[in-house]
Amino acid sequence: MTRLSVAVRLRVVLGVFSVVFAVFAVDLIRAQWLDPVVAPEWGNGVSPRIVAVEAARGVITDRNGVILARNVPDYRLVLVPGLLPSEAESRRSVLIELQARTGVGIDRLVEAADTHLARVDPFRAVVVEKHLGTERAIVLRAALAGLHAARIEVTSDRRYEASGALAHVLGYVAPIPVDRAVELQKVGYSPEGRIGLTGVEAVYESRLRGENGRRLILADPLGREVGTLGDTPPRTGSTVELSIDLALQRAAEAALRGGIDAGLSIVRSVPARPQPVPGGAAVVMEVNTGEILALVSLPSYDANLFNGSTDAQAFERVLQDPGHPLVDRTYMETRSPGSIFKPLVALAALEEGIATADTRITSNGYISVANEYDPSIRYVFKDWAAHGSTDMARALARSSDVYFYLLAGGYREDGREVFRGMGADTLAKWARLGGFGRPAGIDLPGETGGLVPDSRWKEKTIGDQWLLGDTYTYGIGQGYFTATPLQMTVLAAAFANGGDLLAPRVVRGTREDGRFFPTGRQVTARLPGTPAHFETVRRGMLAAAALDGTAFTGVPTGWQIAAKTGTAEFGQPYPDGEFHTHGWFMAYGPFERPEIAVVVYLEYGVGSTHAGPVAKEIFEAYQATRGGPSRVRQPGGTP
Amino acid sequence: MTFARQAVRALAPDPALAGAGLTLVTLGLLMIQGATLHSATGITGATLRQAVYLAAGLLAFLSLRRMDYRLLQRWALWLYLGAAGALAFVLALGTAAHGARRWIDIGPVTIQPSEFAKVATVTAIAAFAARREPSRRTVAAALALLGPPAALVLAEPDLGSTLTLAVIWIVLMAVWGVSWRILGGMALLALAILPILFVAVPEYQRERIAVFVDPARDPLGSGFTSRQVEVALGGGGLTGRGFGGPSALDGLAPRTADFAFAQLAEQVGLVGSLAVLGLFGIIAWRGISVAGAASDVFGRLLATGLTAVIVGQAALHIAVNLRLFPATGIPLPFVSQGGSALVTVFAALGMIESVAAHRPVIDRTPWRGD
Repeated sequence: MTRLSVAVRLRVVLGVFSVVFAVFAVDLIRAQWLDPVVAPEWGNGVSPRIVAVEAARGVITDRNGVILARNVPDYRLVLVPGLLPSEAESRRSVLIELQARTGVGIDRLVEAADTHLARVDPFRAVVVEKHLGTERAIVLRAALAGLHAARIEVTSDRRYEASGALAHVLGYVAPIPVDRAVELQKVGYSPEGRIGLTGVEAVYESRLRGENGRRLILADPLGREVGTLGDTPPRTGSTVELSIDLALQRAAEAALRGGIDAGLSIVRSVPARPQPVPGGAAVVMEVNTGEILALVSLPSYDANLFNGSTDAQAFERVLQDPGHPLVDRTYMETRSPGSIFKPLVALAALEEGIATADTRITSNGYISVANEYDPSIRYVFKDWAAHGSTDMARALARSSDVYFYLLAGGYREDGREVFRGMGADTLAKWARLGGFGRPAGIDLPGETGGLVPDSRWKEKTIGDQWLLGDTYTYGIGQGYFTATPLQMTVLAAAFANGGDLLAPRVVRGTREDGRFFPTGRQVTARLPGTPAHFETVRRGMLAAAALDGTAFTGVPTGWQIAAKTGTAEFGQPYPDGEFHTHGWFMAYGPFERPEIAVVVYLEYGVGSTHAGPVAKEIFEAYQATRGGPSRVRQPGGTP
Repeated sequence: MTFARQAVRALAPDPALAGAGLTLVTLGLLMIQGATLHSATGITGATLRQAVYLAAGLLAFLSLRRMDYRLLQRWALWLYLGAAGALAFVLALGTAAHGARRWIDIGPVTIQPSEFAKVATVTAIAAFAARREPSRRTVAAALALLGPPAALVLAEPDLGSTLTLAVIWIVLMAVWGVSWRILGGMALLALAILPILFVAVPEYQRERIAVFVDPARDPLGSGFTSRQVEVALGGGGLTGRGFGGPSALDGLAPRTADFAFAQLAEQVGLVGSLAVLGLFGIIAWRGISVAGAASDVFGRLLATGLTAVIVGQAALHIAVNLRLFPATGIPLPFVSQGGSALVTVFAALGMIESVAAHRPVIDRTPWRGD
């Protein structure tokens, strides 16, 4: 085989390029001249335009597939100004005809026909009347037969399950907010589009939204569609399956309402005091998965308020309500937890070697502490009762304040250390280990983390020295320390499961084309502690739920539970020295094989008297659903 | 020879070559201005940026054209290692967009090293081949030189640049003097590797190829894109719709880059799009001519390879735009929006001009000899 000369080789390369470009030229002549896709209309100023085809939004169901948020057709009357006659007189006569057929005032029709937008884009439909009922839509559609300028359009609206105080969890969709319009249009939202703004609707927006389809249309110079060139159908959004059990949610809501009323009764019995606003929260979480079975915050509101079909007054009422129904009390507001913080103090003391299960401390109903500089001044820290000498389990069972004052702050008598406490900064360390001071990590927007104070924090923020008294109140979960009911639930679950702080989940997973994508269990941190120490605390909480414990009011029939009550003073004292109190109840059960953790919070109330019975009702409602359809695992789901 | 012609020759020894490039870049600027001008008036930001890149490109062109290209032979290894290093860097630490890692962020500028890598690879292979005779062993070595940049670019993933590198390599081998038998063997090997590549490429690429084979299949809207391109071409008609105004490619994000040819064809019509083909034809013809007249083997291979960088990419880009080839993101040299590519093609043009400047001149000007 002979070697070709360089010149020939170069010519071959050039030749190959030439052939390739000749093929391109032929194809171009075909595509642009001889056989174009759109040529004939093109000369008349017809131009292509891409229009979006809105995808149907995915539904939201509870864990058993009960639909909580669905799409319903929403009918509206629209007018297309470009289809009206252009001469003023006949234009007016058509509008009068429209008035006669639809009953819509002529002023409204004239206004719709002459909007600024109508002059720019006359074939864009102008909405005359929104949210027509189905019946009215049918009547109007018949009445409009033969009139082209007006028609009935169908869009999609969202309907929410109204019962069970689910508004906070579900959230709502609303028209695109003006300040985010530009940013959202870049990612494919149409200006008339809607977007999930709070709750699951917001967090799972990208899944629920689906994928809009597109149509490539030919439009004439007026913007009228004259032909379709191609289209991609829209893809419906995924189904979002909540971990919430609607039946349990409803039961918890009812129980909480009762508890709030009961708690308020004692406040109302003193007529001189201002009437308080009813409020409360309840959380039910699976202790091994972090799945939230019920998340109730009262007062609540109807999520359907925000779809625009309701009257403005109802909307205004919600905004003006002194009970702030828009705030989810389970995770957006922080409060003093009071004595339900004690189990964590107990675990901290055990781990730090401050105390053992057998450490006995005597409560005579109070302790008094001398002022550091002037021993003649003595401060008194009261216990709610004189408990006598108790060990740790008994102290938890009876909720002895003095016991936990000492674990936290120690005790000195005549300058001699009688009991060594762990100190505020160590307690702060354990509060952080218990998941406080930061959001628990629920999959809902706007979670707050509460405050874990320590000596440096007080000096920096309040400008004052940390005092022994601060440590004492810290030890019983009061003072500067605050937490959300959700954080307390995660802590209760951690005691039940041996220390895993789970990220609470209201969404179990999403379902797309029949496939289930679980959210999965997520441990945000571990509460360190030896099994023996956990067991000591658990035993203390079991004792609290025994017949002579403070938490007995929350024990359901047929179950042993571990529990702790809390009654936290707040606000300013009344002249008689009494405070208003928050009522708390924290529990998990069954004791031997824990399944759920329950936390109840009442804005006004006493833990044992008012919050306990709410928890009992919730536990019993859970027992009722168990074994029923709600506990059967869904195919494809993972626990 | 007039003074003006002398001045032009001093700037670009092969004026047709540089002229074709400048005409294309002008069309590109008009195309970008038209496509990014929505309702506003005046020069758009995209056009302005492209003009700044053009200035940088011209600077690269002029300095490389003044330089003796033979210096490149000495620097070839370092250029090559530098390019490979940049590609490895971008893979490890680069900026990702659209599921690919191709860019390095330097302040306001993002650099796409794969563009520069093409020129560096050509230089390295040309320098290597210039001192050797083609044999089975040396061809294998030349293939080994292609390997690292091709693999790194494929890993980004940037299938378009990988294919361009392959085209460049084949052209270089053909001109080096590799026997047609070896080239044929390589072609068979490439055919065998293609199906493997199909498995190795990322999901979105595979989908594009599947859509190319069967346009009705359209889960990602890729078939919709090819429909848009078809409408754009047809809409351009004979004389085009002019720059600005509605386009069938509206909403297609890379329409001034990966679909620059279709966009331009819509704006300037068949007359214009054939002219674009012609301009690339001129670059091919002049580039190969410069190679033929080069004073040494390195110059010849360099000019050939760089011509292939420009014309090969143009061919792949146009083939994609005419839906004769599966969609991959390849810029149209001189025309597409994008700084790295523009600077690179002007640098390549400058290097070809440098080869032209140093060819043995038979001076035919009658009055100059006295």
